[in-house]
Amino acid sequence: MNAEGGLRRKGLKGLLLAGVTASFAGWRVAFAQRMNSGRLISLEDMVQPVVKGAKLLKQDVQIVAPVLADNGSLVPLQINVQSPMTDQDHVTHVYLLSQRNPVTQVAVFHFGPWNGRAEVNTRIRLAGTQDVVALARFSNGEFRFNQMEIIVTESACVDAS
Amino acid sequence: MNTTQQTTSQENDKAGMDRRNFLKVSGTASAGLSLGFFVPERAQAADTPQLNVWIEIEPNDTIVIRYARAEMGQGSMTSAPMIIAEELEADWKKVRVVYATAHENLRSKRAYGDMASVGSRTIRNSQEYLRKAGATAREMLIAAAAQQWNVPASECTASLGKVTHAASKRSLSYGKLASAAAKMDAPKTVQLKDPKNWTIIGKSLPRVDIPDIVVGNRKYGIDTQLPGMLHAAVAACPVFNGKVKTMDASKVENRRGIVKVLNMGEFVAVVADNWWRAKEALREVSVDWDVGEHGTLSSAAIMAHFKAGMEQPELAVARNDGNTVEALSKSAKVVEADYFTPYLAHATMEPMVCTAWLQGDQLEVWSSTQNPEGTLAVSAATAGVPQANVKVHPVQLGGGLGRKSPQDFTRQAVMIAKAMPGKPVKMLWSREEEIQHGLYRPASLMRFKGGLNASGKVEALHIRVSAPSILATLLKLPLPKGVDGQAVACFNDHPYDIPNTLVDYAQRNTNVPVGFWRTVGHSQNPFGRECFIDELALAAGKDPVAFRLDMLPNNEKSKRDRGILEAVTKAAGWGTALPAGVFRGVAETEGYGSWTACVCEVSVNARNEVKIHRVVIGIDSGYVVNPDNIVAQFQGSVVHGLTAIFWGENTIKEGRVEQSNFNDYRMMRLNEMPKVEVVIAPTGGFWGGVGEPAQAPLAPALANAISAAMGKRIRSLPLKNHGLTLKA
Amino acid sequence: MSIARVQWPEKITTGDVVKVRMLIQHPMDTGYLQDFTGKVVPRNVIRLVTCTLGDKEVFRIEPSSGISANPFFEFFVRATSTAEFKVEWTDDKGVKRQHLQLFKV
Repeated sequence: MNAEGGLRRKGLKGLLLAGVTASFAGWRVAFAQRMNSGRLISLEDMVQPVVKGAKLLKQDVQIVAPVLADNGSLVPLQINVQSPMTDQDHVTHVYLLSQRNPVTQVAVFHFGPWNGRAEVNTRIRLAGTQDVVALARFSNGEFRFNQMEIIVTESACVDAS
Repeated sequence: MNTTQQTTSQENDKAGMDRRNFLKVSGTASAGLSLGFFVPERAQAADTPQLNVWIEIEPNDTIVIRYARAEMGQGSMTSAPMIIAEELEADWKKVRVVYATAHENLRSKRAYGDMASVGSRTIRNSQEYLRKAGATAREMLIAAAAQQWNVPASECTASLGKVTHAASKRSLSYGKLASAAAKMDAPKTVQLKDPKNWTIIGKSLPRVDIPDIVVGNRKYGIDTQLPGMLHAAVAACPVFNGKVKTMDASKVENRRGIVKVLNMGEFVAVVADNWWRAKEALREVSVDWDVGEHGTLSSAAIMAHFKAGMEQPELAVARNDGNTVEALSKSAKVVEADYFTPYLAHATMEPMVCTAWLQGDQLEVWSSTQNPEGTLAVSAATAGVPQANVKVHPVQLGGGLGRKSPQDFTRQAVMIAKAMPGKPVKMLWSREEEIQHGLYRPASLMRFKGGLNASGKVEALHIRVSAPSILATLLKLPLPKGVDGQAVACFNDHPYDIPNTLVDYAQRNTNVPVGFWRTVGHSQNPFGRECFIDELALAAGKDPVAFRLDMLPNNEKSKRDRGILEAVTKAAGWGTALPAGVFRGVAETEGYGSWTACVCEVSVNARNEVKIHRVVIGIDSGYVVNPDNIVAQFQGSVVHGLTAIFWGENTIKEGRVEQSNFNDYRMMRLNEMPKVEVVIAPTGGFWGGVGEPAQAPLAPALANAISAAMGKRIRSLPLKNHGLTLKA
Repeated sequence: MSIARVQWPEKITTGDVVKVRMLIQHPMDTGYLQDFTGKVVPRNVIRLVTCTLGDKEVFRIEPSSGISANPFFEFFVRATSTAEFKVEWTDDKGVKRQHLQLFKV
């Protein structure tokens, strides 16, 4: 069993606000498929490989998912991003990130003005109670995000809480 | 002694005034607890101020403390409120404990945090926020008194339910201050009491549920009674994962009292006006099951499967210190042994039971569950209603033991309720159903190889486990590096100072479903480890205790292992003379954040009857909340543990479990119970679990004693398979 | 055999922002589980899903093992003119499949 109870309880402290410009020169491009060991990783570790120091604000992104997930193998999750979706101003990518899964980058969705709405609905696997992050990249190179804690009720026995 | 009646869940939830003003108070406690003023639906009128989600104080000084987990006899419904009461400086005699509910938790953005009673975690995971809740309320009461007296709060003290201003000899009881206190701002930081000043924590206070239990008032899940309630008996396919092919209920459908017979695919249910009728009718419903390819599985095939795992080329490595294989090849003496522990059903005294009532799109559930939020989520999903429409009413569990955290039986009950809309249905499993549709403690084959140097010191240890993975099969969790932590518990994290250690794991799943049996991996692995350590001690010609102490230096890593081993062996008088024919065995292990040890004294007569003369068993749990509760946990563990050690096994024949009831899955008898001497040796400074680690060192200590008595090693359980019985 | 089911509203007018629902049959094996013969069920997940209307790509997804079995996706697309909708997916085994449906405006 891991002893990460304290870490999970604190959630994703250290939220990144506008203007953070930390750089991560060492990150591999193949971050998408990097496996972590089931530990809870920080928000910074989740988003910086994608954001790479660009402007990041916690707004305009909505995650719709159950607070209590009955089945960690099938969690319905919807991401809405506020955007006019015009040629000049639209969402280009939405990254769905997991705090604890072996693969942090659950999925990447590519958008363009032709979508009309930057909204996607899917079903995901969550390896235990954790935070998920929806990270949107805009056509001007800026990022917006939101996060949500999802309690996977069935893995209560093992989740350090 | 005091007003400790349980408020029934119905009283909790009667729709009173819908005044719910939610004020989130930031920065007062660790994330996960909101000390908001969420007011749950209760029958209490407007004069019971709420200081925070955990504490309400009545004008007559009664302090209502909420408990947010399950009570299944482990006593946390008393210990957790004791922690709040300590910081609150409450008069324990005036404390009344009520349940918080899963639906209240959901509505209040999880103000109560986690609600699952699993992993021996209730106290150690909630103590910080519970203490803060008590301390925060205390400070608000002091502030209210200080304001009323127009004196500095620093000149006031709180004790035994009263705030006192010594200088002016004034005091007010909490009941009189509560209204004003509830209006105060909660302080942003609070000072917690120094453990040496505790007056409630550390006391053996009687459990709050005892009076109700004694007079038969305590409501267990099985006691649920509702107007117009129907009863359901169920049967799933005797071969795991089988499905109904055809069902013929013609014999029973029109019988008196039988309301409906349901084919649910994975199980069959008979709904009747009483449970006996339902159960009897169920026996005459003829079902043709589709068992797929699983109808030939046997214990022998499973053992062959585990043995093949031992030889498989790809293994998951859980620990790799030094170069074990090389060291073993050079060791002066090598000891090898295989150990085996069987599948075990939980056999909770109260079988699986769940009552569900679907009225339109509103669902109410009374479930004997260790995981009420899981019940809420699964019930909503099964009924197809929003989670906000589900109420999970808390009930006491007649034993949980890890079987009642998964929601398989909840799902069944809600499926039945959905088929009987508008009617409450209580679904109860028979004992046979419970034994044969368990989530079994995994059977496990363990291989040990130890290398001693010329002076008898262990220089290399290789442990290989071939066993199912609970995490991968029940929870579908990914295994970091392919290792299931439960399968290798106490191997990959053993405390002994051995320079070369290799622990590897072969995941060997079968069609037998596995789950969390009390103490999980620590219910079986310490048996292997501590018995093998004895085998090494024997090979080295050393006393088992001295042999262990040699490998447990007094450093940060193993000082607590050393400490509890010394405390328990001292209490047992290890090394002192024993009467002829009496032998001792010892074991030490850690688990669930605590350290435990055990010494057993046995004699074995010519008829292979084992007489247990003494069980000396102890724990270092850091802090101790309720010593008498720890004693009770150990006593209970010995009952549970000896039952498993002597007779516990579930064998498989033609894909199904052979055992069915207590005639062939024997429990201990009253007159067989030995005296249990409990050693509580807390070193302070941390909060360790108690419910599960209490069982961990018993099997190896007993097996080591029996091995010493018989002059031959016991390497598998249960003991009945060695022709041994327990002498009353 | 991996197949897909795609749905959108019956009546579509030019300019509508239309909801497209897709369900692809695929086990999305994570590679963490051993079967009852003791063998690891090898990892096999869909790595790329592309949706085109006519010759224009309108949606692209890079899933991982974190997407549930039988991947389900709902997204939006602005209707311009009648065109053939094609969804194509590739998995770890290199298996490529597609599904075609007429998007009638």
